[in-house]
Amino acid sequence: MQNQEKELREFLKGVPIRLIGCENGNELYANADEASFPTSMKLLNGKGFTLISMFCEEKFNSSRFTLFYVFERELFDDVLVVVRNLKSKKAASVMQIFPSASWYEREIMDGFGIEFEGNPDKRRLFLHEHFPRDFHPLLKSFRNSHIKSNNGNKAEYMFKEISGEGVYQIPVGPVHAGIIEPGHFRFSVIGETIYNLEIRMFYKHRGIEKLAEGKTPEYCVRIAESISGDETAANAAAFCMAVEKISSRTPPMRALQLRTIFLEMERIYSHLGDLAGMAVDVAFPVGASPFFILREKILRENEQLTGSRFMKGIMAIGGLRKDVSEKAIKNLRKFLDAFEHEFEKALDVVYSSPSAIDRLETTGAIKNEIVRPLNITGPAARACGFQKDTRKNHPYGTYSGLKFNIHTSENGDVMSRFNVKAGEIMESVRIIRNTAQNLQKGPILSKARIRDGHCLSLVESPRGQSLHWAHIKHGLVYRYKIRTASFCNWQSIEHAVMGNIVPDFPLINKSLNLSYAGTDL
Amino acid sequence: MNELLIYSVLNILAVILISPFFMGVIKKIKAWCQGREGQPLLQQYYNLIKLLRKESVVSSTSSWITRATPYVNVAALITAALFVPVLFVPSGSTLFGNLILMLYLLALAKFFMALAGLDAGSTFGGMGSSREMAFSAILEPVIIIIFLALAFMFKTPNLFEIFRQASAVGILYAKPLLILLMVSLFIVLIAETSRVPVDNPETHLELTMIHEGMVLEQSGKYLGMMELSHAMKQTLLMAVLINILVPIGFSTALSFYSIAISFAAFMAKGTALAAVIGIFESSIAKLRLFRLPVMFMVAFFLAFLTIILEVYG
Repeated sequence: MQNQEKELREFLKGVPIRLIGCENGNELYANADEASFPTSMKLLNGKGFTLISMFCEEKFNSSRFTLFYVFERELFDDVLVVVRNLKSKKAASVMQIFPSASWYEREIMDGFGIEFEGNPDKRRLFLHEHFPRDFHPLLKSFRNSHIKSNNGNKAEYMFKEISGEGVYQIPVGPVHAGIIEPGHFRFSVIGETIYNLEIRMFYKHRGIEKLAEGKTPEYCVRIAESISGDETAANAAAFCMAVEKISSRTPPMRALQLRTIFLEMERIYSHLGDLAGMAVDVAFPVGASPFFILREKILRENEQLTGSRFMKGIMAIGGLRKDVSEKAIKNLRKFLDAFEHEFEKALDVVYSSPSAIDRLETTGAIKNEIVRPLNITGPAARACGFQKDTRKNHPYGTYSGLKFNIHTSENGDVMSRFNVKAGEIMESVRIIRNTAQNLQKGPILSKARIRDGHCLSLVESPRGQSLHWAHIKHGLVYRYKIRTASFCNWQSIEHAVMGNIVPDFPLINKSLNLSYAGTDL
Repeated sequence: MNELLIYSVLNILAVILISPFFMGVIKKIKAWCQGREGQPLLQQYYNLIKLLRKESVVSSTSSWITRATPYVNVAALITAALFVPVLFVPSGSTLFGNLILMLYLLALAKFFMALAGLDAGSTFGGMGSSREMAFSAILEPVIIIIFLALAFMFKTPNLFEIFRQASAVGILYAKPLLILLMVSLFIVLIAETSRVPVDNPETHLELTMIHEGMVLEQSGKYLGMMELSHAMKQTLLMAVLINILVPIGFSTALSFYSIAISFAAFMAKGTALAAVIGIFESSIAKLRLFRLPVMFMVAFFLAFLTIILEVYG
């Protein structure tokens, strides 16, 4: 680890940022001057850093607002956190350098009222037009109370549209025909070919980040579980890990191993749902039902292990809330042996159907060159050939000691994502089997006092990298920032659909498996 | 005259009553293929009765077309049902049975359905209508060629006459080319009834819809009527296929026993064909939208080949 930090410092020579030091093992903090800020951002971009998150905190230190820019770079376990103290409510935008910053800046604009100069997109993001104009809920001065909605004279949200002869707009959503979450899609189409798509999310804002403030960390674990129903284990684990790092409190080995099992179980059932969904969306339900059946079996197995099909209420700071019985582990190992065989048979149904394969191939291809600028993560990035996996890049829990492969594919299309997800299911089965075999006996919870401090934690959820920032002050959560994989990957869909035809959109959407709730906290 | 009246009443009633059953069979077979138990065979009847009892909610921006379309559809299909004998052929009459008229009654229903899709001004209705019309423009000549080939082989454009000739023993032996033609007809049956791989009748994804998109704005009684006419269309096309390919049991005379046998035979053959459709749908994914004309061209080619071989063979 020490070496890593030295190397990173060496690598950063020439960038006008003041390196402060490493915290929590793998966070290298740096201060940036306001004057040289754009230059340092350009240099970081030139050195191959990816902006993986950006967030704001009020009264982090003596200045009123502090912006955090989190970067990662291949080959480095450490992440770089550039701290930018703001003197006023204005800041220069970096979206021209890091396009992914656009959503973050709009998010901060809504939450804190900070204006980003140079970001041409001044539209609101998560606060829709019915919220009052000067309403910024993440300011500490805002107390949770009733607000007067702006329904009477709300402004119109202007979509980017292509106009011209033969171009027409297709508005879809936010209410959809299936039982899914709300989102609006605005297509500009000629004939059936999509020339532009703009998405609008954030119809179900719950104020999770605000909700967490002032709560005890233990309570906040339950909030983390509710961010997105099918990322329960990943998000809860990420928050717990953050608090554990702050308090220098390592959970017992058995708890870490069980966590690994839960995280991989979550990956399996999530990916199974995707594989089934892709088959359903090409009208091949015969190929889908074996995956659905297997997914249900996994959920039942989850219930045996944790008492909850979606593994709620098991994670705790310092370990787990309750132990898993030896019998459940034995049953799990038996189940996995049968599962592997059944899963291969299920895959065979799809792979041996030329008509289904024809629909998946070349559809919804994501170009390699947008992966880094938009920080596309998870299976979507791996399907473009990127070796991006938080479990390998920034190992946590027991992953540093585990042997497993990263599955990648080359074309970035729906077929590649199908292959990557199928490969990851098999890999997860191997990880679980390996972990269950070597499961240690012992306690599952280490008790220690929760200390104050702040920490980043990165987790590879089924959808990709989730980033959690926890700041604890006086034993209570002062700021909790979550950036799930969906927040990044939603932006990729606008690029993936270009040149495809409208009836292929649902398939592309399903192959990316984006969470609406995970985007809209 | 009396026989024709009995024929009319019986045939229309039979088509209306049988149609939801075949729909149910296809759904059941598809469910079995997916490892599900599936809905009860009679569920389609319950659905129809439920829908017909419900009130219709009509978009406030729509015109009389939305309200007239369900009636036009049911009326067109009931009239078309007169042209395709499912139980027996009345002797000596050529009042009904003209192929071209039957086909264009179906086209009339489709035309109004497409208009109704556009009428409410919703996104998905318009999308469904434009797709349906685009593919109809390709499919229509194919259907005409197939039925012309049929008329050419039997030397008559009248379905009554065709069925009567077909029910003679050994028709396939005498005219083996019919098999080619029936393959084309099967493709048309799949395309016209909006099934996989052309369309997906089970989908909730509006962006992929063709037929379902057009009826998306219909509700209650109107929706029930649209669904009934859709099911009737399927039965009529199935009847053409069945009564030419396997006319066993089909009656050419009016008597209680022969009609009872004919009914039983038709139900059995229809169920078998519905099962074939269900298995066919389950074995294949939906084609990409712009690959569909290729499939229609196969039907066109086979029908065209039949004519060539019939002329020079």
